[in-house]
Amino acid sequence: MESTNKILDKFDIIVFITITLLTAIGLAAVYSATYTHPTAYGNFNKQLFSAFIAYILFFIAYLIPYKTYRFISVPVYAFTLLGLVAVIFIGKTVYGSKSWVSFGPIGFQPSEFAKIGLILFLAYFLTRKKRNPNNVSDLFLISVITLIPVGLILLQPDMGTAIVYVIISLIMVFWSGVDLFWFFLVISPVIVVFASLFGLATFFISMALVIGLLIYFRRNIFVNASIIVLNISAAFLMDYGINFLKPHQQKRIESFINPSADPLGAGYNIMQTKVAIGSGGIMGKGFLHGNQTQLRFIPEQWTDFIFCVIGEEFGFVGSIITISLFIILFIKLVSIATHTKNIFGSTVVIGILALMFTHFAINIGMNIGVAPVIGLPLPFLSYGGSSLIVNMTLIGIALNFYKNRREQI
Amino acid sequence: MSDKIFGSRLRRNIFIAVIIFVGVTFTFQLIKMQILEHTSYTLQSDNNSIKKKPLQAPRGIFFDRNLDVLVSNKPTYNLHITPELYDTNFNSTIEQIIDIEKGTINKIFDKNKIYSKYLPRIIKRDLNFSNVVWFEEHSEKLKGVEIIVEMQRDYSYGIKGSHIFGYLREINSIQLEKEKNNYDLGDFIGISGIERSYEKMLRGSKGYEFILVDSRRKTIGRYLEGSQDINPTKGKDLILTIDKNAQQVAETEFEGKTGSLVAIEPSTGEILAYVSAPEYDLEAFAAYTSRELINKLSSDPQKPLFDRAANSIYPPGSTYKMLGAIIGLEEKIIDEHSTVYCRGGFQFGNRFFKCHGNHGSISVIPAIEKSCNTFFYKLILDIGLDRWARYLRMFGFGNKTSFDLSAEAKGIVPDTEYYDRAFGKNKWTKGTLVSLGIGQGEFSVTTLQLAQYAALLANSGRTKTPHVLQGYIEGIKNVDFNIDYKDKIVNISQKTFDIVREGMFKVVNGYGTARHIKLPNINIAGKTGTSQNPHGEDHALFIGFAPYENPKIAVAVIVENVGFGGTHAAPIAQKVIKAYLENLEGNNFPISSVN
Repeated sequence: MESTNKILDKFDIIVFITITLLTAIGLAAVYSATYTHPTAYGNFNKQLFSAFIAYILFFIAYLIPYKTYRFISVPVYAFTLLGLVAVIFIGKTVYGSKSWVSFGPIGFQPSEFAKIGLILFLAYFLTRKKRNPNNVSDLFLISVITLIPVGLILLQPDMGTAIVYVIISLIMVFWSGVDLFWFFLVISPVIVVFASLFGLATFFISMALVIGLLIYFRRNIFVNASIIVLNISAAFLMDYGINFLKPHQQKRIESFINPSADPLGAGYNIMQTKVAIGSGGIMGKGFLHGNQTQLRFIPEQWTDFIFCVIGEEFGFVGSIITISLFIILFIKLVSIATHTKNIFGSTVVIGILALMFTHFAINIGMNIGVAPVIGLPLPFLSYGGSSLIVNMTLIGIALNFYKNRREQI
Repeated sequence: MSDKIFGSRLRRNIFIAVIIFVGVTFTFQLIKMQILEHTSYTLQSDNNSIKKKPLQAPRGIFFDRNLDVLVSNKPTYNLHITPELYDTNFNSTIEQIIDIEKGTINKIFDKNKIYSKYLPRIIKRDLNFSNVVWFEEHSEKLKGVEIIVEMQRDYSYGIKGSHIFGYLREINSIQLEKEKNNYDLGDFIGISGIERSYEKMLRGSKGYEFILVDSRRKTIGRYLEGSQDINPTKGKDLILTIDKNAQQVAETEFEGKTGSLVAIEPSTGEILAYVSAPEYDLEAFAAYTSRELINKLSSDPQKPLFDRAANSIYPPGSTYKMLGAIIGLEEKIIDEHSTVYCRGGFQFGNRFFKCHGNHGSISVIPAIEKSCNTFFYKLILDIGLDRWARYLRMFGFGNKTSFDLSAEAKGIVPDTEYYDRAFGKNKWTKGTLVSLGIGQGEFSVTTLQLAQYAALLANSGRTKTPHVLQGYIEGIKNVDFNIDYKDKIVNISQKTFDIVREGMFKVVNGYGTARHIKLPNINIAGKTGTSQNPHGEDHALFIGFAPYENPKIAVAVIVENVGFGGTHAAPIAQKVIKAYLENLEGNNFPISSVN
């Protein structure tokens, strides 16, 4: 018992079991989505190999001295930026975006690896001795740290990943103690704009929330009025702003709001995805028996729409188990971040949580039709070696900080 | 800044709250989709991926009474295009290859706009082999284009039979709406003749194959290994009453003529031969019935689409005379020996009604044999109009025969009420009657009614509703001949029939108007007729039956605008009789023994 407790004290077995189960579910889903497919056949084997590599990197990340991360944060950031620059010049174009770099038979996505760089470097910056996240010049530098990779990623172009970078940065800043009011000031227009997409009712609800929070913050009437005006004008500017988007992006937003308007065009995926999940029922159609999946109604299902396979073939039970595993993982990460005395480590873990939670929320949200279609993989489940390796490495890092949670720098 | 900022209770709680909020939102959405709306999504999913592909049931084929094939089916290559999958940029190329008018494909698409875009449209039927090869070679590029082997009617068995068989045509949207369960877009349906009358038996029931298709509607495999498939059931094969031989001869005889012929098996009402001339070529309808073709045939002054046998009405002329004799005999106005003196006509009031010659003192049998008008002019005046009309109706005139082919005309049997209506009360005289006595005037009949009348004469007053369906074959073993047709019985004494039949025998075998059609081995009895036609040359008529002793066939022939019945109609009847009887199994006809 003594020895077992000792191990559990050093190694968060629940997190490990959670990610292992998620990876296993992902492998099953990728297998199902690809095994009859003429071109994607073989993706399962590649994914299996990636999982093998990912576990090795997980253990390396877990075992190396935790202080190393702080030292290497700046070089890693710089190195991953180089990768992002390289991809612009030597990248392979896949589905209209240049996000791949190949070395012989091995290809990877620098934008996945750059997430590690961003998280480490932001954590480093936010936990410097004289840091002050409420200091305007610090905030400016944080913006620069974030926007350099964001700019490079937008050149690929990969809007989804760019959004994730911004959100990671915002959440890490939030965790590091930025004034909640200022944070609210930045976030609220985004929420109001998003809510206004769904019509007047949701717009008014979001505005009510904003006003509620304003009462909580107890600022003067002038500030409150300005914020309300800012939010309302953001919602109106949104309508105007949509005109600046490319037609296919406009269509995506439109079909998210009303998928049946263009069932064979932009709304096609959303419709088919919902049909797949909805038709799964409580118990699902059974492994390899989902007709939506097996008959390839959802293009490239093994990537961003992998959750449909689970929804269709394993039903409500399978979906809830998957979501529960993620929720357990996230709450565990919050707990690790809270209990890690090392503030650099705590911030890194929050960055990891931010990254995975954003992917989870947007990916499953778009699969079940409550979030717009933004092409993002589902951590541990979607096909893609880079993503699996990076996520696994990041969990390795998080568990490393868990192991050393009582140490302070 | 203190370390407390990191992991402060408030910030941690905000994280937990957001995570729980997202988890709960997802759970609610999944409950909604996977539990509450599960049924509707399942339906959509099945519709998505299971394509119901109709399988054509081969239409029943037609046999003649001796089980010789009259009409069958043959495979044909048809071009189908599914609009949703198809790139209309190929239109002009395809139109050129299959040699159809530019713009036809779009026209067909437009016409069927209301149907699903995933439903294939038939663009052309009966492609030739080189077209099929071309489409095979380019199938990779031509998405949504399919060549499908289907059955079409095969009329290559040597008889035309256009008015018996009738034609098929693609079902129109109104019919399709009414019969959604039995037909799909592009299916054929009987429009006339047997094809129409027995459509339900002939069409069989369609089969369906359930096929799994992917998002591009490409076939992936069979749904549940085909266990849910429904096999098509072939339509019933019909055994017609038609005698192929007799029909063929009749058709040949009518080439270049206008008119009609109906031959009936007297005891059963079975139609042995049925011709309306000119015919139309059913072959032209086999693959595709274009509006142009229908328009062309409809506007043809010869009216080939019009079924003259059942729908044209003519005065029966002298073929009526046996009926006059029957009324006279039955009503005891005359007997076998009563005579009338014919001096070339009949004086009535200030009008003289002509006869063909001076027959002198003449009784009923020679009056029929020689077709003496005078005898019958006088007779009808004694019969009187309403009594006369009653007998006519008894013999089926003035009424539909209810035969099973198509619409038919009633003809006209005038009576007091009719003339009162036509001319006004008391505005017409007995003189009007006189010409009715020789089958002229308002009295009009169809060829079909005449044939029924000939059958009644042949079989002494007993026949059945004329019909062309004798039986049908269901599956491959069940043959059903038990189709009930109504009796048609007239209550006339055998003696009366014997007298008029003897007259008819002498028309052919004595010194009558049809003696030139006498056959050495078959005794034919008959009566010629020449009916005046105000629009031109007289119509030639003949009714008859054979063998005289034991009639097996009764015929009525009308040839329009050619003159004497003896010359033009009787020889046709003779050839048809000969063709039928000489092939009749187990026939032992007495060699002409009566004078």
